[in-house]
Amino acid sequence: MKNKICFLAVFMMILSLFTGCGGSSSDSGGSSDGNDVAYYAYNSEPILNWDPSVEFSNGVIVLNNVYETLLRFNPTTKKYDYVLATSYKKSSDGLVWTFKLRKGVKFHDGTTMTADAVKYSIERTQKKEVGASYIWAPVKEIKAIDDYTVQFTLNYAAPLDMIASCPYAAFIISPKVKDKPDNWLEQGNEDGTGPYKLSSNKMGDEVVLSKFNDYWKGWNGKHFSKAVIKKTSETSSRRQMVEKGDADITNNLPAEDVKALKSSQNVKVDIEPSFTNLVAFFNTKKAPLDNEKVREALTYAFPYENAVKYAAGGLAKQSTGVIPVGMWGHGDSLTKYSLNLDKAKSLLKEAGINEGQLKLSLTYMSGDESEKKTAELYKSELSKIGVNLEVRAMPWESQWQQAKGTDIQSRQDILMMYWWPDISSPYSWAYNLFHSEKNPLYNLAYYSNSQYDQLVDDGYKMSSTNIEEAENKFIDAQKILLKDNPAVFIYDKEDAWITNSSLGGFKANSAYPLVVFFYDCYRK
Amino acid sequence: MKSYILKRILLGVVVLFGVILITFFLTRVIPSNPAAQWAGSRATPAQIQKARIELGLDKPIYVQFEKYVVDLFHGNLGTSLRTKQPVLKELETYLPPTIELVFWSTIMAVLIGIPLGLNSARKKDHALDHFCRFFSVGAVSLPTFWVALFLQLIFYRKLGILPLGGQLDTKMNILYNVPHNTGLLLLDSLLSGQIPVFLNAAKHIILPAVTIALYPMGLVARMTRSSLLEILEEDYIKAARSYGIKERFIIWRYALKNSMGTTVTVLALSIGYTLTNTFLVEAIFSWPGIGNYISTAVVSLDYPAIMGVTLFSACAYILLNLIADIIISFDPRVRV
Repeated sequence: MKNKICFLAVFMMILSLFTGCGGSSSDSGGSSDGNDVAYYAYNSEPILNWDPSVEFSNGVIVLNNVYETLLRFNPTTKKYDYVLATSYKKSSDGLVWTFKLRKGVKFHDGTTMTADAVKYSIERTQKKEVGASYIWAPVKEIKAIDDYTVQFTLNYAAPLDMIASCPYAAFIISPKVKDKPDNWLEQGNEDGTGPYKLSSNKMGDEVVLSKFNDYWKGWNGKHFSKAVIKKTSETSSRRQMVEKGDADITNNLPAEDVKALKSSQNVKVDIEPSFTNLVAFFNTKKAPLDNEKVREALTYAFPYENAVKYAAGGLAKQSTGVIPVGMWGHGDSLTKYSLNLDKAKSLLKEAGINEGQLKLSLTYMSGDESEKKTAELYKSELSKIGVNLEVRAMPWESQWQQAKGTDIQSRQDILMMYWWPDISSPYSWAYNLFHSEKNPLYNLAYYSNSQYDQLVDDGYKMSSTNIEEAENKFIDAQKILLKDNPAVFIYDKEDAWITNSSLGGFKANSAYPLVVFFYDCYRK
Repeated sequence: MKSYILKRILLGVVVLFGVILITFFLTRVIPSNPAAQWAGSRATPAQIQKARIELGLDKPIYVQFEKYVVDLFHGNLGTSLRTKQPVLKELETYLPPTIELVFWSTIMAVLIGIPLGLNSARKKDHALDHFCRFFSVGAVSLPTFWVALFLQLIFYRKLGILPLGGQLDTKMNILYNVPHNTGLLLLDSLLSGQIPVFLNAAKHIILPAVTIALYPMGLVARMTRSSLLEILEEDYIKAARSYGIKERFIIWRYALKNSMGTTVTVLALSIGYTLTNTFLVEAIFSWPGIGNYISTAVVSLDYPAIMGVTLFSACAYILLNLIADIIISFDPRVRV
């Protein structure tokens, strides 16, 4: 008995030691000693590759705070804000672009940013030939005219302002990096001009950034001095952390959680367009999908409303065309299909297909719940008109490999995938997804229409000279797609940003996917 | 004994080779495109082809296997397709947190499970025995994810006395120089005298360790009870009692030692299993361990990472079984 009491006493002492000491139980961005630390609970690894010339994935949420670009796209004004550049002009033929650079900008190593740094950064990215380096393909030559003037000569007219504002592969890096080993950046080092520098990095888990004292914008006013981006894959954990104030911001929560949080006093929910949309491509080279009537029938047989409601949890809007809502070039007045099984049946009959005769295969990326639900909903509707749809989940690489197979007959009939932009332009969707390709890359409907191609090419060239005219070109191009139906344009996804009520200054910028610009945020 | 250990090690090497061979060829047979993964999302065909050559995938499969085995002998486990980091370096990063977690959960399981099973056997058919049997069944049957979420709800959300997840409060990284020598945070912080870091890390490990400890705890309690019940009926125990030897001495000195054989074996297997199956617990508690690493590697078909983890898992099982057999061999009843 004595031993039991002793044991219990020791146990209680140890427990009180743990619960009483070692700081508070919260990782609070909102506690009194965490007021100047921003905490972003992110659902995946914050960054996998620290090389800004290479990273083409999640890592931009870190890199866009550590590095900067010449320009930044503003989705509200649909123009480009000056960041490292203060002005730019282009020649009348669009082949020569001259940028004036901001003076007094320092890299984290203490050196001053000059035109040579811009030349070095972009040439380095071009030479790497990986990731999004292809965005610089139009650039033939870069010249440092003087310390603060850089001139780009292009092979062909292209919107260089759009390219220079890209969230990937457009960062300006210190030339001192060339004196370091080749993989120095990749191994978790940085040298940018951004407001934050790397303080600590636990690969694949957590990144801590601390303020760069010599940042060119200065630190007057309210700003966070540190920012933490931590991988927290469990959705209930992220929700609880933001509600309690242990995290300041998160996203990618299930629709049910977002709905519940709208009534919470402690958090704010912002629904923003994400520039990500879901598309189902028909194999237009394989019978019977080479028949326009069949494709139109299958487009009418799609459950758009249910896909938005059940697959996307209401966090989406039905697509009108291929350019998503929020991006210029989006056409609200374009044809919007709706579920009409009778019309679908009659179109199939006109195409000479009897009920029960048609068997199709659809592939989607495994692990994606929304794609899975969408595919199952589509299968269910098609079964009502006697079309047998086999639905197959595959890893993306396998799905893509099958789609690019040399034997057209062995490719899928329908491929479902999300698309998000590399550059903030309708060109990213219009060109990549439907422009004619010699060998399939992302045009996985294998669609080819010279009139469409011309409109898209013209739209791209006009993007920097006459944006209104360029927009008309992209809208006309989409009218062709909506007539030919090489794909079903399902929905434009929305991002639900959940912020703790103590966080101020946050504004989502869909052109920079899931990026929080910590410098603009502050503790209320 | 020495020859026994040597034989087991040699057998272990053969098993390891078999595991490497099968896993290597399986990962090559599964439909995937490692070159596309290496080249990154939206890679052009030229980039993918370049990646193919860089990864040696254009060579015959037996040449690839030979290179892999030769690299293994040089301590090179390859490079992750997803992260582009050496797999060995990643294992060095992700293994210690899991080892630490599994270690403390095993300690908990043993310190609670054995006394529970022991007292349950002593007080057979009493209230304690009923509690122990109920607890054992509950502990092994409750789903791990449910336990994890439940503990978070009670101790973090409602009571606010323990953290939600992670290894440390974020501000610890900011305010203190968190040591990283062995990768075992509790040990490193204790050895470097960073007591606030130690205490904070200790607080963070409680909930995930308890979650993982439940299953082996139930198992150990149950196995200890069953073995002890048998042994307590033996003649030598009756003889010891008749000599007037104290019951506590009989239980701890004679009975428990003789009942540990099966329990140790089962515990060793349980540790091996837990080491590579913590991904649910690690995901829920945001614990930066090998579980998360494995699940991501498998889902993304990152075959160098899969190979590395499989190798580690096989080594762990072989080593743990060897240790278990060595412990059991101290029992003079067991012929080695």
